Amino acid sequence: MEHLSLFQLNKLIQKTLDGHLDASYWVIAEIGELRVNQNGHCYLELVEKENNNIIAKSRATIWANNYRNLSLWFEKMTGQSLQQGLKILCNLNVQFHELYGLSYNIRDIDANFTLGERARKRQEVILKLQEDGVFDLNKSLEAPRVMKKIAVISSPSAAGYEDFLNQLDSNRYGYKFDVTLFKSIMQGNTAPESMINALLAIHNSNSEFDGVVIIRGGGSQIDLDCFDDYELAAHCCQFPLPILSGIGHERDESVLDMIAFRSLKTPTAVAEWIINVNMDFEIELTQKFEQLSKIVLQSLKFEQQRVNQIVSKIKSSGKVVQVNENYRLNTLKSNLKTALKHQLSSLDSELTLKAKIIDHLNPQNILKRGYTMTSKNGKPIGSQKLSIGDIIVTTTNKMTINSKIAEINE
Amino acid sequence: MSKKKLNYTEALTELEGIIEQIESGDLTVDELSEKVKTAADLVKVCQDKLRKTEDEINKTLEGLE
Repeated sequence: MEHLSLFQLNKLIQKTLDGHLDASYWVIAEIGELRVNQNGHCYLELVEKENNNIIAKSRATIWANNYRNLSLWFEKMTGQSLQQGLKILCNLNVQFHELYGLSYNIRDIDANFTLGERARKRQEVILKLQEDGVFDLNKSLEAPRVMKKIAVISSPSAAGYEDFLNQLDSNRYGYKFDVTLFKSIMQGNTAPESMINALLAIHNSNSEFDGVVIIRGGGSQIDLDCFDDYELAAHCCQFPLPILSGIGHERDESVLDMIAFRSLKTPTAVAEWIINVNMDFEIELTQKFEQLSKIVLQSLKFEQQRVNQIVSKIKSSGKVVQVNENYRLNTLKSNLKTALKHQLSSLDSELTLKAKIIDHLNPQNILKRGYTMTSKNGKPIGSQKLSIGDIIVTTTNKMTINSKIAEINE
Repeated sequence: MSKKKLNYTEALTELEGIIEQIESGDLTVDELSEKVKTAADLVKVCQDKLRKTEDEINKTLEGLE
């Protein structure tokens, strides 16, 4: 029977492949695994997935001399390192080695594809959040009037956290803050879950926080993909407290930045924003109080005017009364005078009349007219019993005559 | 009033309420001075809260009771 040795078969395969394949291909694949050995060679497993099932898998290598430059350049371009889970467009040639089998030698990677891929993925996340109806939820929370109790999600050792605390502590207005740190991993594949756990811890804590600050900062600009994570973004969107992001990257905004209540460039900027919130509140407070003082002064002035008006009314009405009373009094007085005069004069004439009558009745005046008056013992004789021989006195105008009664004729 | 735990928004709302009351002219002069005192207290409480830690405030409040 005709036969080949294994070596011969492998050589045949190699020859066939070499004869039928192009020198290189541009291939889209996902990095399933990646490791770099001590010599600096990079060994990868490339996969293709369909509905999360792997439908193709191949070994690939990037040799050390190429990998050094390629990985640095890729990081610089995309802001992230070559790593598991990344979809890449790479230029490779197919190699079949009689001893090591089939392997792809990656010679170049198109960073723009990965950038586009990331943008596409991010767009997908944004769309999904919008479809869920949660995209604007955190943004539309009521703005905090004051931020005092603050929950921070950060790595405790991050320079950004330090900056944040310093900025808060050194505020010019003397505001004091209660900051509680919720530790989290802030980069890599486990970061989203770690941050979500921190959010849950904040939610379950008994403290009533005024807001949540998510900061990163300092350190490298790579590995920011975690802030585009759908689950993390969805949790943040629906979180009941305003989320302030200070992730501090120079490239495009992350999804977290887009959905956060406020997105600021750096942790320091977040602290500054918080201080301004409090300052705005205090200004408003002071203005309101000044407004109040003004109104109160106005009210008092108004009351004063009212009092003054009343006083002057009282004064003027008093005067009128006075004048009226005076007039009445004077009239009464003059009436009284007239009445008195009248009365006096009538009395006077009556008196004169009476005096005349009296004058007429005066016995002297009768005597003057030639009549005489006769009396006995000082009393008129008319009412006395007379006897012959009685002495009677006759009084005339000029003299008195004593006579003895000689005869009485009745 | 200081004994009640008042948040900032409530404090500001109360302040606004006082302003409204005074503006409406429904208050007597006697009430006026009382309201102004309340308002001043509100401002003070808020400013204190901004500048003191929760612990300090609690201590202060205990001192009042």
